[in-house]
Amino acid sequence: MTNRILLIITILGLLTALSVTAQETLHKNGNAEKIKGTRFIPYPGYSGSPYLTDKFIFGEIEFLDGIKIGNLGLRYSSFKDELIYYNAVISAQIIIDKISLKGFSFTDDKGEHRVFRRQYYNGLLHEERFFEVLSDGKVSLLVYRKVDLETCDTSYNKFGLAFQPSFYYYIYSADKGYSPLKMNRSSLLSKFNKPNQKLVKKMLRKNKVLIADEHSFVAAWNLIKDKEIEIIF
Amino acid sequence: MKRKLLILLLLFVAVTGKTQERKYFSLFTDRDLYTSGETLLFKIFGPENESAGIVHIDLLNTSGKKIVEINKKITDQQTDGFIYLPDSLSSGCYLLCTSTRNNPTLTFNQIYICNRFTGIPEGGTSIRSSETRTVTEKPVNELEIEGIDKTRQTRSKAQATIHLPVKLLSQIKGNLAVSIAETNSGYNSESFLKSIKPKEDQIVEKDGVILEGFVKDLKTGEPFKNGIVFLSIPDSIPRFNFYKTGADGYFNFQFDNYYGKIPVVIQGLDPEKKRLLKIVLNHPDSIPAAISSFENWTVSTELRKIAAQNIEALTFSKIFNQQEITIQSGSRPKAEAYPFYGVPTSVVDPHPFIDLPDFTEISRELLPGVKFRAYNRIPSLQVLNSAMRTYFEKAPLLLIDGIPIHDLNIIKTLGSKDIDRVEICLSERFYGDLAFQGVVAIYTSKSNFSRIAESDELIKFNLDVNQPAAILIIPSEKLQNEPDFRKVLLWKPSQKPEETVRLDFQTSDIRGNFKLIVRGTTSDGSVFYKEQIFEVN
Repeated sequence: MTNRILLIITILGLLTALSVTAQETLHKNGNAEKIKGTRFIPYPGYSGSPYLTDKFIFGEIEFLDGIKIGNLGLRYSSFKDELIYYNAVISAQIIIDKISLKGFSFTDDKGEHRVFRRQYYNGLLHEERFFEVLSDGKVSLLVYRKVDLETCDTSYNKFGLAFQPSFYYYIYSADKGYSPLKMNRSSLLSKFNKPNQKLVKKMLRKNKVLIADEHSFVAAWNLIKDKEIEIIF
Repeated sequence: MKRKLLILLLLFVAVTGKTQERKYFSLFTDRDLYTSGETLLFKIFGPENESAGIVHIDLLNTSGKKIVEINKKITDQQTDGFIYLPDSLSSGCYLLCTSTRNNPTLTFNQIYICNRFTGIPEGGTSIRSSETRTVTEKPVNELEIEGIDKTRQTRSKAQATIHLPVKLLSQIKGNLAVSIAETNSGYNSESFLKSIKPKEDQIVEKDGVILEGFVKDLKTGEPFKNGIVFLSIPDSIPRFNFYKTGADGYFNFQFDNYYGKIPVVIQGLDPEKKRLLKIVLNHPDSIPAAISSFENWTVSTELRKIAAQNIEALTFSKIFNQQEITIQSGSRPKAEAYPFYGVPTSVVDPHPFIDLPDFTEISRELLPGVKFRAYNRIPSLQVLNSAMRTYFEKAPLLLIDGIPIHDLNIIKTLGSKDIDRVEICLSERFYGDLAFQGVVAIYTSKSNFSRIAESDELIKFNLDVNQPAAILIIPSEKLQNEPDFRKVLLWKPSQKPEETVRLDFQTSDIRGNFKLIVRGTTSDGSVFYKEQIFEVN
């Protein structure tokens, strides 16, 4: 038995040795992927956070031509809808040119992988926006993680201004565009016709999904998405 | 134990047996005999395991000096292209060399080019390579060519059908190359191989041509460490790249998604501005391996006669301004829709305003946030930082037609008439690890960046990157009054292999022998061919 194992190992070793081709050496240009951007100027110290994450998190960006750069310290500014990265070589916080990006992703403190993609929003304030992809498919579930600067009591902030989260949820498909959505059961059901609504209700009940927040809404959405029920919007 | 050893031996033989495949490029030209001023068409079949994505085709004289350099992208181990043979070439044998940066085997094809003004010299002798390591193709009998009569009339329509047996069809890899071109017995092109030792640590040209070189200290000639090399490609949307050199002073740039001949400017800079640098490109102008043993060869009377006829035919084609090929323009990536220095804060066109004599006046009157002054004849340039509402301390990135410049005297005399537009960025811009305190990009009316002088630190040249595809022109039937002196009647370098391939072509006014040839590669890497000769009278 030992001999057989030895023979198999020898054969495998031989095959591996023959199939491994010479590893090409690449005198890589260290700055092959040049990130373009402008210097980030910190926001005034109002209450609340203008950022999605408390600190810079290592993540990956993808350019329009498909080139990806990973292991970059990233921070998303929800206030200005900008992606900031930290360039350690020149010790600078740089806002990456939005038009050069296809999207970015990172894994947050809770271990959740979060994917953002740049899309044109054709609503009232039509512009290029970074949307977080909560669920992807023919019809995607997106959220625009906006933070607004609003007035507040001066006891809360001496300037009388505070950053307030104001997230906008949408379902999106390339041919139908955006349709706003709220993170509750009735908003979800409104996207289906009457017979399908019953089906959805039954499905949620059967799987014991109670829509109370964003997390449970996404769980419900993914459940329905798999069944390929027609969505009306 | 013996049995096990036998199994191992058999396995080894089986696996190594696979390595008996073609490891060189096979190059084929449309003809063997050319006249200077004509276009040479070529087809290349690459080896199966070729890692490079770019193949270089060089036209060399018998001393190995490069006359024309072409770079082509390899797709499915194949490529095709063309070479304009310069009018100035003297009559004689020339070599076409096919190479990549890493392949240790060079393929040479020997062709004869006759100068269209002098013809073949009176002496009647020439030298030709007497290399013995020649490449031979495998004729394939299973492939059938139908419909080609032995003789055809000039200017007649014809059809031919290629029948590929199912077995051969299943073995064919990639596309077939089909051509019908003039052939003559006076001269036959030969293909031979030469082995070289490629440099170690060579970068593989996967997606584009690589331009490499060294930055040296002008005074000492030593490699310069931590130098910055700028690459500028002037265009309506200029391209830019940079490289920070290491201890060896080496730099390289890869040109992906570029087609044709592009203007390139390379600059070397000492970030501390203490030393003058010299840029040395690693771009040899000859291939020493090409110099092979040559033998004297007497040009036959028949070849002289054919060459004389060819010259006449080409002269008439030139009089009627007849082109042999049309070049298809390559597509550009949409990703570079804005310049490397960012979307400008403002773009100023000076033409709607009154004529201003110099750049000081232009900056004062027309450019918001730009301060160009020349106190005591020393010019200075500053840009406003719009976020902080103060002027940046350092000078901004100044570009003329997309090329960074450091000598402000160059722009001092630019008036309204010289400038097409000025783009300004009033923020601190970053490009990789480079930071610019604002940007002033001047686009001149001439757009020829002639104001920027060449020096040891700055080199300007045109670089042939990936040659675009070309199609053979077939003259319209309506142009009956014009002569038709095509020597290539059909050129389909990427014909999809099918059981039946129908070919339609039209003979020209040229009389003589023509050859229909079908070439392809099989999955084992070998090149096969089938040919049929017919006469046009």
